Amino acid sequence: MSFKSAVITFPGSNCDRDALCYLKDLTKGKVHNIWHEETSLPKVDLVILPGGFSFGDYLRSGAMASKSKIIDEVVKHANDNRYLLGICNGFQILTEIGLLKGALIRNKKLKFLGKNCFIKRKFKNNFNLSIKDNQTLQIPVAHNEGNFYCDTETLNLLKNNEQIAFEYCKGEFSDTEENINGSIEAIAGITNKKKNVLGMMPHPERAYSDFHQSQDGRLIIESLIS
Amino acid sequence: MNEELILQHGLTLDEFQVIKKYLNRDLSIEELGIFSAMWNEHCCYKTSKKWLKKLPTDNEIVIQGPGENAGVIDLQDNDGIAFKIESHNHPSYIEPFNGSATGVGGILRDIFTMGARPIATLDSIRFGLIETEKTKYLLNGVVHGIGHYGNCIGIPNIGGECEFESTYDFNNLVNAMAVGHVQKDKIFYSKPKSIGGLIVYIGSKTGKDGIHGASMASDVFSEEDEDEKRPSVQVGDPFMEKLLMEGCLELMSSGLIESMQDMGAAGITSSSVEMASKGNVGVYINLDKVPLRQPLSAYEILLSESQERMLAVIDKKNNYKVREILQKWQIDYEVIGEITDTKRVVFESNNKKVVDLPVEIIVDDAPEYDREFYIPRKRKSKDFDFSKIKLEDMINNLLTDLNYLDKSWVFDQYDSTVMGDTIREPGQSSGIVKIHGTQKVIGVSTDCNPLYIRINPYEGMKYTVAESYRNLIACNINPLAITNNLNFASPLDPNIMGELVLSIHGLKTAAVKFNTPIVSGNVSLYNQTNETPIKPTPVIGIVGSNMDLNKINTNKFCEIGNKILILGKQLTKNCSPYLLQDQKIAFNICEFNDLEVLDLDFEKKIANCVLELSDLKCIMSCNDISRGGIFSALLKMQYKDMGFRVKVPDPIDLFCEYSAGYVIEIRSKDFEEVTSFLTKKGAEYLEIGEIIKEGIEINSKKFDYFDIMNKYRNNFEKIIS
Repeated sequence: MSFKSAVITFPGSNCDRDALCYLKDLTKGKVHNIWHEETSLPKVDLVILPGGFSFGDYLRSGAMASKSKIIDEVVKHANDNRYLLGICNGFQILTEIGLLKGALIRNKKLKFLGKNCFIKRKFKNNFNLSIKDNQTLQIPVAHNEGNFYCDTETLNLLKNNEQIAFEYCKGEFSDTEENINGSIEAIAGITNKKKNVLGMMPHPERAYSDFHQSQDGRLIIESLIS
Repeated sequence: MNEELILQHGLTLDEFQVIKKYLNRDLSIEELGIFSAMWNEHCCYKTSKKWLKKLPTDNEIVIQGPGENAGVIDLQDNDGIAFKIESHNHPSYIEPFNGSATGVGGILRDIFTMGARPIATLDSIRFGLIETEKTKYLLNGVVHGIGHYGNCIGIPNIGGECEFESTYDFNNLVNAMAVGHVQKDKIFYSKPKSIGGLIVYIGSKTGKDGIHGASMASDVFSEEDEDEKRPSVQVGDPFMEKLLMEGCLELMSSGLIESMQDMGAAGITSSSVEMASKGNVGVYINLDKVPLRQPLSAYEILLSESQERMLAVIDKKNNYKVREILQKWQIDYEVIGEITDTKRVVFESNNKKVVDLPVEIIVDDAPEYDREFYIPRKRKSKDFDFSKIKLEDMINNLLTDLNYLDKSWVFDQYDSTVMGDTIREPGQSSGIVKIHGTQKVIGVSTDCNPLYIRINPYEGMKYTVAESYRNLIACNINPLAITNNLNFASPLDPNIMGELVLSIHGLKTAAVKFNTPIVSGNVSLYNQTNETPIKPTPVIGIVGSNMDLNKINTNKFCEIGNKILILGKQLTKNCSPYLLQDQKIAFNICEFNDLEVLDLDFEKKIANCVLELSDLKCIMSCNDISRGGIFSALLKMQYKDMGFRVKVPDPIDLFCEYSAGYVIEIRSKDFEEVTSFLTKKGAEYLEIGEIIKEGIEINSKKFDYFDIMNKYRNNFEKIIS
């Protein structure tokens, strides 16, 4: 059965085309592009909330997008136990909707960070099954507010439920800091309790094609399809 | 009209008399504002026009040369590449964040006005000495502004340059370049097609920002001015620009508009006059219809430089459909006038014609000056004393000089991978992006050697073009065309004017030889504060291509054990300006020897060797040799755990500059093939060493690899904090 997916576009999204290409090239199935004002969502296996600056990041990153018309459908999609992936601004939107815990605050150095980062899997889930234990993935980040924060109670919850999907780590020859943006416990991506919703700051859709510097971003789609 | 008012508007009394004589009546204040905006250097190039006309602007691949919002070149299969560079120097000094941000915004609009989707930006930025708090503030603000705008709109920043030098202390330079992809049969021009077409206003509402920005950008600064001028700096909103870009591109691809013009410098005045002039028609605009952010007078509306606004011409029958598309993108839209057959520019406000001028007087009769210029005196030749120079000190000098250090601190604040087509990120000899959905790549680089140009403007400019050319060649990118940004001090000084004239002449010579026409550009004059003029800084933005992304070279070392070869001709140590300056051997500009004459045929010959060897897959990595010589080139090539071991007759040679200089890495097994190829071509080479693991060795002397690499990578941030 072919894998169906969709990408939501908000005004100010700028990684929607990248996400569409990523899905088309790797899933080989039907990929829909849905405008934020739509009120229905086709039945698909995966929805991506892409990166960018939805609504110009006004008010708070992701805050305005979380009130868009399409969001009710996105929540329904997640409640139906289907996959939902928020990348970068998409992750911020998921925390604003409340589908994911915690919040993304400004990077520790208070500067935008656009560079390669390295991550590894923390706890196993359907988004990272194809990744080996201790395998280091090289994937670009590009964010101003990617510093994951939550209170101790939530952090314990995330750990106990094994909701931490990815954490930042050191690359073999890179002198990039281990924890690139100051996230609590170097968290790079988390899931909801049921583990069908993932939010992550790194951009796997910029690391999959042969001409990209790394192809590690393929592993996420491969995990979902396998 | 009183003299003071005329002078305040940046017009000379002579210029005013020309207008008055032509019209045979007095001017309204709105009309005076229009001439102020249209007759300054920024809009009419009155000082540089005579010389710019001499540049080569056409060849078989040029689709659009200078004169439109951006130049366009042909990349086969209906692919066109639009590009341009533009300065935002003065605004970025007064308000670094908004000044630089709107610089990026403006150049992106120039690109998508042509119907092209922007696919890359670059920035060429120059600051004074970092020791002052002011420079730190400017550097932080400018980098933040460039990053903020480009990151938000989602166009990758793929390269540029960042230099520090004392003449920029009170005049930092911010030049932004943008490159876009357009289908050849869907290029849009500013020329309206039919009489009676509706003029529509698209984008942000008009406010008070930037009133008289264009004439400010043509003024000499004095330090006290800074606070007074701040309200003139435009404020940018990249989110609005993103919506505007998507909205405009959708309008253009659905064929609903006839022509488009961006409201940049001098706002609605400049864009409507351009439209009338290009189409040889007239325009009528009712200023009461212009969407406003706050109550404004007709004069203010005409001169506002509020950002993220466009003017388009549409057929009446498409009005409804245009509105519908723009509503989806939540963009303001208003019909404000129409194209007439009067060849006059008419603006009406409160049922009164506040401006009624023939297009001819504004555009065709704009002043053009043939300013006096001096040719620099011939330099005496001199031998410098190198006896006290120690290798360790030379290395240390580079590792404590911002101009040589890794500039990740700058470009890590830019998103360089958005759009998913980036192949080479900033920090390499050229930035490279793929044309979406094809195997073709575009390589782009910006460059300037102000020190060379001050020493010898003509030869220095040849070196600058050659260096940007080498930046592309090193990656196996075929150079195609050039955009330029001529940043100079006041042309009223005949010495400065001489630098302008001679460097344009040098640009012409090199561009003709390399067959790289100049298809767009920008001139920024009066970059001086009080008595301190900047060094002449004519920045080159060069664009090239390779039809096969698999054929491009990396600038980074590939494999331990591979050999290192040098191509090109070393400049003597007495004639390597940056060596003398940066190793603190020469201090005063009058001390330097003249530049060696650059042999452009030799540049081409060596470049062709590099391209051919690259196609034969014999080059594992390659970098051009520029400021800092071979040593600096090798440092930039360092990758993973690789270092280098080299032997040279005199260690100072490692720091000398080059003509046609390249470092190439080759496999031992290809050594015979490569060297016999080079010999056959008559290209001399020098085998200087090999790639080793975690080491730097020069003439058997071992250096601390980790210490050097650590300083190279991290000293920039330490020094500027």
